[in-house]
Amino acid sequence: MAIAAKDLRSEWRTKEALNASGAFAIVILLLFSFAFDPASDSTREFGGGLLWLVFMFAGALIVNRTFARELPNDCLEVLISSPVPGAAIFLGKVWASFVLLILIELISLPVFGIFYNIVWWNQPGWLALVLVLTTWALSVVGTLFGALTVNLRLRELMLPMLLYPMLLPALMAAIRLTTLVLMNEPVAGDELVWLKLLIGFDIIFTSLSLALVDFVLVR
Amino acid sequence: MREKILTGVGALAAALLVRNLYVMLLQLPDEADQGAIYRIMFFHIPAFFTAGICYIVSMCASGYSLWKSDLKADALAMAATEVGLAFAAVNLITGMIWGRIIWGIWWAWDPRLTWALICWLVYFGYLMLRQAVDDPSERAKITAVVNIFAFVSVTITWKAITWWRTQHPGPVLSIRGANGKTDPAIESMIYQNWIPLLMLALILVVIRVHQERALRELDAMRRWAHAA
Amino acid sequence: MDQRNFTYMFYGFSIAWVVIAIYAVSLMQRQGRINKQVESLKKMVEEKKS
Repeated sequence: MAIAAKDLRSEWRTKEALNASGAFAIVILLLFSFAFDPASDSTREFGGGLLWLVFMFAGALIVNRTFARELPNDCLEVLISSPVPGAAIFLGKVWASFVLLILIELISLPVFGIFYNIVWWNQPGWLALVLVLTTWALSVVGTLFGALTVNLRLRELMLPMLLYPMLLPALMAAIRLTTLVLMNEPVAGDELVWLKLLIGFDIIFTSLSLALVDFVLVR
Repeated sequence: MREKILTGVGALAAALLVRNLYVMLLQLPDEADQGAIYRIMFFHIPAFFTAGICYIVSMCASGYSLWKSDLKADALAMAATEVGLAFAAVNLITGMIWGRIIWGIWWAWDPRLTWALICWLVYFGYLMLRQAVDDPSERAKITAVVNIFAFVSVTITWKAITWWRTQHPGPVLSIRGANGKTDPAIESMIYQNWIPLLMLALILVVIRVHQERALRELDAMRRWAHAA
Repeated sequence: MDQRNFTYMFYGFSIAWVVIAIYAVSLMQRQGRINKQVESLKKMVEEKKS
């Protein structure tokens, strides 16, 4: 928790990651509008996919920073050799990026609604659930892979290359569920398998990460 | 000694494969709807099983290498992944050819196919990552974690045909509780062809592991030679 | 034997073998490279000795 607070505070002072990825998200939203006609009715059908692609791109920027921000002045070495257990450091980092990502999503949603003329508040409960579950998945896997790749050359390249395929199960589920919500259709019956997949993904990857993080954060 | 055993296993695998070709082409009856093309399954399914075994071995080896920081297990994980990718490619491509005839399209974006492809990409990313890290023990640690994560997508691929209604055929083999959906003669042929493929995979993995060890020894020797 | 789709079955069988063969060839090439490196290293050690 202290780690999360520290990260969020330093982020709040500079706002570098937040500004950069927030602006990035909006730029991508703008770019997609040139790829097809944003006013057509079919936008709803792939609105979910569009939204999550934007969040994934912005998310990669955020999780890329979570450990990289500790690199100057050897802060990472100090953090790892401090008596705080690895799992606590990791969870702190996950919470920090989770909060940042949710913030960016909350900023992007109204912009998305305006640009693409989409009513996204039809089923706020479901939307919130999907947002929270998927953002958690993105933060957990992203933070762990961020820790793995922090010392690599080609870090900016390797992280998305590893992260996106790994996140695809959660991403597919999120896209399907979000599309349902945007089209104001009930999430029931056959579609529940996607929700189960999302929850299962969160549970499995959170426990795997916690089990393995101590091997990662060792010098 | 090792080479002799490998050659022996290879010869046995080759003999089995020739015998299997004879049985599947000349003795087994045709499938009523599909004509000759169903025989692709004798490679498609065993190749998937073989790739799956490779991935399992790779995951176990990664876990062990992480636990004991054992570089030999790391080499095994890498070799098994590489061979698994080759067999997964066989699985994907033969599946595409079958789909071209039966479905009329090369690729249907249904969950089973999509996840088989995701698996392939994830493991390919694992091999790419290996090239990006220079220090051997650092590399073993980082890639082992990725490898264990990657196995989750293998499990999803395995279960995809029961979780979703897919265009890909559902479970037809009796080991997955679909008794009587497949002619016993055909099903047993699938397993019979799996045995030589597994032997082949074993040979390839052993060779690859050995190469990795040779490379490490070479590195050590070079360092020693330069120091001397 | 039923002749329908026979050509595609043939393609399928060959592709299966071609993929494995390509992998095996890449393995052999790597082996060749390793052998060459060993040779050059040996030569280097010889030269240093003399």
